[in-house]
Amino acid sequence: MAEKRKILLIDDDRDFLMATKLILEKNGYEVLTAENGKAGVDAIRSASPDLAIVDMMMETWGEGFSVISEVRAMEGGKDLPLIILSGVDLQGPYQSFEPSEQFPRVDLILHKPVKADDLIKHVKALLG
Amino acid sequence: MPMSYESQEDLVLIIDDEETIRDGCRQVLEKSGYDVITTGDGSEGIRIAREQKPNLVFVDLNLPGMSGLEVIDILLADIPHIVLVVITGYASIVSAVESMKRGAYDYLPKPFTPDQLRAVTKRGLDHHALIIEAERLRAAQEEMARDFITFVSHEMRSPLMTVQQSLESLRVVAGDCLSDEANQIIERCEKRIRNLEDLVEHWLNIRQIEEGTLIRDKGILNIADILLHSMEDMAPLCEKRGIVLKSDIPEDLPAITGDRESLVRVFVNIIGNATKYTPAGGTISIRARHDDYHVHVAISDTGRGIPKDKIPFIFEPFYRVKERGEHIEGSGLGLTFCKRIMDAHAGKIEVSSEEGRGTTFNLRFPR
Ligand SMILES: Nc1ncnc2c1ncn2[C@@H]1O[C@H](COP(=O)(O)OP(=O)(O)O)[C@@H](O)[C@H]1O
Repeated sequence: MAEKRKILLIDDDRDFLMATKLILEKNGYEVLTAENGKAGVDAIRSASPDLAIVDMMMETWGEGFSVISEVRAMEGGKDLPLIILSGVDLQGPYQSFEPSEQFPRVDLILHKPVKADDLIKHVKALLG
Repeated sequence: MPMSYESQEDLVLIIDDEETIRDGCRQVLEKSGYDVITTGDGSEGIRIAREQKPNLVFVDLNLPGMSGLEVIDILLADIPHIVLVVITGYASIVSAVESMKRGAYDYLPKPFTPDQLRAVTKRGLDHHALIIEAERLRAAQEEMARDFITFVSHEMRSPLMTVQQSLESLRVVAGDCLSDEANQIIERCEKRIRNLEDLVEHWLNIRQIEEGTLIRDKGILNIADILLHSMEDMAPLCEKRGIVLKSDIPEDLPAITGDRESLVRVFVNIIGNATKYTPAGGTISIRARHDDYHVHVAISDTGRGIPKDKIPFIFEPFYRVKERGEHIEGSGLGLTFCKRIMDAHAGKIEVSSEEGRGTTFNLRFPR
């Protein structure tokens, strides 16, 4: 059997993290979690996941934003598939679905709560 | 941080064409510790005031060239929080009254003593300090309200989203193990959470409108576009409920100014209500037209209508017409939200209804 694809979830709401983790695991993915931006960036460095799902509303949206900027700037982070999973308060550069060019690219924006089918469909599409 | 006014010397500007008055006032006021600038010319006075932003300005009503009243009008319009005292040359109560009407704070009739000048100056500057303080408090309150909204929106929505996501994961984890009954329980939970979410959302939106943080970017809008978009959103629901959704929207409607997102929400709300209170087999129709001044939109349904005595209340927060034993979900905030949005667009929303026959919401936008 092929090795499981690795997904990193970054979210400061532990219960939300758990719920999303279960959905992904049940669908055959290996899931790592991080409860803040810094731990998330560290995990990307050390565990090299195949995809990261980042909550934009950790403390301020700024934290999710800095995670994305940092990932895009790091070696090998330029092409890592990134999904923003936003609370309803999405503000700032990703408010519209096409943020202007000076902002680091994300592959997809999803809104909380996300339907299991939707999530899996998008994850599959991004992981090829 | 608000600017600290305490540390700043109080600056007083004197606009009077009599040199002796200017010099006299300067001496008295400088001795009392104020910074003083003087000029004999109205337009020069305005220029100085714009640049230096004095806290208090004395204006002689009898200026050559520009009238003192004109100077007052311009200063009050241009410089926020400025306090004006008029100097009336010919002990004329009439002109003093006229200036006060226009917004001057006080007057000082010539001739006056140094004590009178000092007293009026002190009063004027105290008044200025009070205005600034009130302004500061207002800003602080506004900031608190904003923080509160951010707090509420995060603290109330986060748990709701987490519960929803957990129910979703429960389904996935349990897979086929869940009985129909168990699934129904989950569905009921989901429905109630969605309602609570709507309520929080509406309530937050209303607070945001009150604060002016919601409808900030108005643009030129094509209302037909917005109506069609809203109808597309609601079409699946109408179909599900067995209600026909039809429209009569001319192509040549003039543009309006507004916030697209919130107007879509207004129409979606009203159409949504119509679906809730119209039985299967009914019709919802949307018509638009315009005249020289307005664009009109009418959204009618063939539903149960609203009792005449309840109509005055339906735009009030949390008001709902409930029939005994019925379980139509709602927050009672939908129409409150619509009304506030329409107010923010200088528009109007009115309802006409006949019990048992149907309801029409009439919306009017300035073009
Ligand atoms: N199209 C309609 N037909 C009948 N009654 C309506 C209609 N629209 C609104 N109402 C009445 O107005 C009340 C207030 O509406 P709204 O503020 O949207 O709150 P709700 O969440 O209860 O729908 C409703 O409870 C309902 O009784």
